Amino acid sequence: MVDSPDSPERAFEDVFYPADRVSFIDWREISGAKPAVAVVGIVTILSFVTGLSNLSQLTVPTDGPVAAILPAAEIFVRFGGVLFAFLLGIITVGLSRRKRLAWRAAVVTLPLLLLLPLVSLQPRDFPLMLAIIASYPLLLANRDSFDQRIELSPLQIAALFSFVGVGIYGTVGSYGLRDQFLELETWGDAVYYVIVTIATVGYGDITPLTPEAQLFSLSIILLGTGAFTVAVGTLIGPAIESRMAAAFGNMTASELTLLEDHVVVLGYGDVTESLLEEVAPDADVVVVTPDAATASDLKDEEVNVLTEDPTDESVLEDAQISDARGVVVSGPDDGRDALAIIAVRNVDPDVRIVAAANEAKHTKKLAGVGADAVINPRAIGGRLLGQSVLGDLKSITAADLVVESDAVVSNPDSPDTPPEANTQTDSDDRQ
Amino acid sequence: MSTQHTHSLEATVASLLIPLFLLSGIAVLSAFFFPTFVGEAVTGRAWLAIALIFFISGLGYLSLLPYADGDDDSESPVLLTIRRERLRTATTSFLAHHRPEGLILVVVVFLVYLLAQLIIPAPTTRAVSAAADTVLSVGGPVVAGIILLAVLYCLLLLLGPWGAVTLGGPEDEPAYTYPIYVTLIFTAGIAAGIVFWGPAEALFHYSAPPPAIGAAPESAGAIDGALTYSLFHWGISAWSAYAVLGVPIAYYVFVRDAPLRVSAILVPIFGAAAADTPWGRLVDTLAVFATIGGIATSIALVSEQFLAGISFQWGVTTGAIGPALFILALTLIYVLSCITGIHRGIRRIAVLTVVLFVAFGLLVVAVGPRPFLIERSAGAIGSYLAGFVPLSVYTGDGSGWVAAWTYWNWLWWFSWAPFAGVFIAAISRGRTIRTVVFTSVIATAGATMVWFLLLGGTSLHAQHTGRADILGAVNDAGGSEAIVGFQLLSSLPLGELFIFLFLGLIIVFMVTSAGVSTLVTSIIATRPGVAPSTVDIVFWGGFQGIVALSVLFVGGAETLQSIAVLTGGPFALLALVAMAAFLWTLWKSERGHTSIVRQAYDALPKIQLHHDFDNEER
Repeated sequence: MVDSPDSPERAFEDVFYPADRVSFIDWREISGAKPAVAVVGIVTILSFVTGLSNLSQLTVPTDGPVAAILPAAEIFVRFGGVLFAFLLGIITVGLSRRKRLAWRAAVVTLPLLLLLPLVSLQPRDFPLMLAIIASYPLLLANRDSFDQRIELSPLQIAALFSFVGVGIYGTVGSYGLRDQFLELETWGDAVYYVIVTIATVGYGDITPLTPEAQLFSLSIILLGTGAFTVAVGTLIGPAIESRMAAAFGNMTASELTLLEDHVVVLGYGDVTESLLEEVAPDADVVVVTPDAATASDLKDEEVNVLTEDPTDESVLEDAQISDARGVVVSGPDDGRDALAIIAVRNVDPDVRIVAAANEAKHTKKLAGVGADAVINPRAIGGRLLGQSVLGDLKSITAADLVVESDAVVSNPDSPDTPPEANTQTDSDDRQ
Repeated sequence: MSTQHTHSLEATVASLLIPLFLLSGIAVLSAFFFPTFVGEAVTGRAWLAIALIFFISGLGYLSLLPYADGDDDSESPVLLTIRRERLRTATTSFLAHHRPEGLILVVVVFLVYLLAQLIIPAPTTRAVSAAADTVLSVGGPVVAGIILLAVLYCLLLLLGPWGAVTLGGPEDEPAYTYPIYVTLIFTAGIAAGIVFWGPAEALFHYSAPPPAIGAAPESAGAIDGALTYSLFHWGISAWSAYAVLGVPIAYYVFVRDAPLRVSAILVPIFGAAAADTPWGRLVDTLAVFATIGGIATSIALVSEQFLAGISFQWGVTTGAIGPALFILALTLIYVLSCITGIHRGIRRIAVLTVVLFVAFGLLVVAVGPRPFLIERSAGAIGSYLAGFVPLSVYTGDGSGWVAAWTYWNWLWWFSWAPFAGVFIAAISRGRTIRTVVFTSVIATAGATMVWFLLLGGTSLHAQHTGRADILGAVNDAGGSEAIVGFQLLSSLPLGELFIFLFLGLIIVFMVTSAGVSTLVTSIIATRPGVAPSTVDIVFWGGFQGIVALSVLFVGGAETLQSIAVLTGGPFALLALVAMAAFLWTLWKSERGHTSIVRQAYDALPKIQLHHDFDNEER
């Protein structure tokens, strides 16, 4: 399996030179968008725990350098951590969906959160501080990965605007009418009053005294609760709908947009199961099959499935074929496989396609419609059987089995695809 | 097949480690963030278990992560070929890998020694101590002379023409990038020195000044002397001991195709097959002894220190079970790091070690007594440089101080030299001798000396200004050096954070050294040309742990020191042989290289021309 060393004396080189290059830190391993999201997640948890730890103290220490210049430093330290954690939790979810807005929010929020350890400066603040410092360059470096826009429907936008509008209207209005309210004196009181009213809590400590103020309050209640309800409904409803869809066997649209460097398997044939075993540990796999029963079985085994027709270009676009490492066409019917190959080529002329021919005579045809490599599993099995009965198992190289089309020969950079690894394993099994 | 099987085995182990790590991590975090609540709920003994599980699972998982670079097949295939074979087959291949003297002799000698310690403890201890004392008093000055010679030898290699010799063929490029190269050598070459003696050594010289300094105990004058002596004991001299073995081994292995083992130093005397001659076998067997003796001493020291830390932080005494648990945990981690290969376990833990080391140093600078540190460090560096030769040839005033401190220290370093030298050699393919010497002597000694100045200086400051009575605490603890670090750190601002970091440092520094020593022992104990299998590594790793544990139990600290002396002694002499033989080789076969001095001189006229040209233009 491994190149034997040139001479037995050099056996130690296997031990000390396991890779061509060993570096201090593999920056690719820790500098991608995923690590960035993970570190922000860690910041969120640490912020919550540090905040909770601060809350549990009788007196909050403010020994840090920033404490002197920050107003209300003690309140900030006491409640800041936990409140920031909730905000960051939402931001982390957004970041994991690669939302641009979440990225912007994170870039603004994290420096503010950094004030917290700088105010209190206790040993327990250091993990949070280090995590924030680590997360920031990661976020900046992966700026371009967070490019998903938040697409809101007109109704959602309207609901949001009316909600914000009612808030502003209520705050400014009640502050203007403060003479006609009991115990409403400052801007802070106005905000408090509006939120308590819109949320239909109504403590009753601030009360309108004149008919004008009462009418005004009624308008906030009607408009505000209305806008609040509509905003919640329109913003959260679609999320619930998409969860429902996911429960019925399809990947959600947001899950699909996150796929990259994955392997798309079109059709479910005899060899697909072994194929999944081989590929699944190394790459994300998406199986596209029209058969609902197969799809639900696969779903149970936690394989990503799209229950759609693999010969449909729009389905292939949903499966992010352009970002895929490769496409495997292995359906039970060579005719439909050929159509699927043509569909893939229509969507992306460059992606590597490997096909499994069910009959030997179709091998060349599948290569002809655009597959980069075609394998005939039955031929492999037959040859192994033959060699096995004669007691003369020779190694079968990948080249013996794969019909490579010209496109691949001229393109040496194309990445190794799973079927070749599969044949490799076959030859290993004889040991 | 085998790879797949191993992968699934690794995946199983990794999936077991994750929940363990999370649970113990939550426990550690909550203790850190909510000391008052958790402190009441969990006892000190539980803390020892939780802390060990935390380190085992975290570092183990780190080791098991797959290597991203390159394809799957390159994942140290030899180390990981666990096949579904019978135990007998594994044993047979294990025995076939080893030479009888490399395996049976080593095991039998250690067993006999331990049995003697158990049955007739007093005479054995006396005999071993007497032998060690003789080595120290008679051989001590010789060892000091060899160390001084080694420093000069390294200077010659660094500045002289032979620095330009490349270790390997013309097509050999260094496979390790420079940062990881320094990191691996540094973390493999030192362990207990950093964490155990870093805060303590200067303090002891301060309370009982070395005769060469001649200042009154605990006086201001003793401060400079104490720092100077720490630098002397842990600086250039100490690290030269590795290079004088490592560079010749690397040369004979990569230029002359000798097998990678310590006996490669004998190639100029016995030819390329030196490893198969009786002398070569003797040297390799001695190297196994030295490595196990040296590492066992360090493991025992850090185990004492870690438990002192746990006891300091949570006020709990663990009895005999403490060291046993600690060494078991340590052994698990370093064997795992070693099995997963140098590019996975060992590399990642080494990186973690250096990151923690630098972060800790920066934190000490941030909260430590900066003006004091700068002033005293500058003074100590000055007197170290000025007094280097006098200190190196100083043989004492008859009080035995030099033997107890300096000579003992040199011999401890020599007991590490075989494995550290082989390791330096092994990863130096494609580098020039100058780079190897610069890295393994100047760069590593630089980092060590900065550490000793920082920690030693801070503890001297705390003691001298009376901010913390560390020496008093040491006396209360029965003269144990192990608690110095924790006493010091708790007196600093952010003390709790420092103690947490320090406990981590103790583990990772020891794991990196012990992992490398396991790997190297598995190579030099097996036949030339056999890559060690997982079974070999597990055996030698386990053996090191068992030796450390049993020596700690039956012998105690004194025996440990004697063992380091006795196993290190031969390598002081072998270093001399290696230096002479290698010089002979260089003289015969490596003419025509230019020294760095010559290069600098040659570069001068060009600068002048440039200067003249500028003038003309004007």
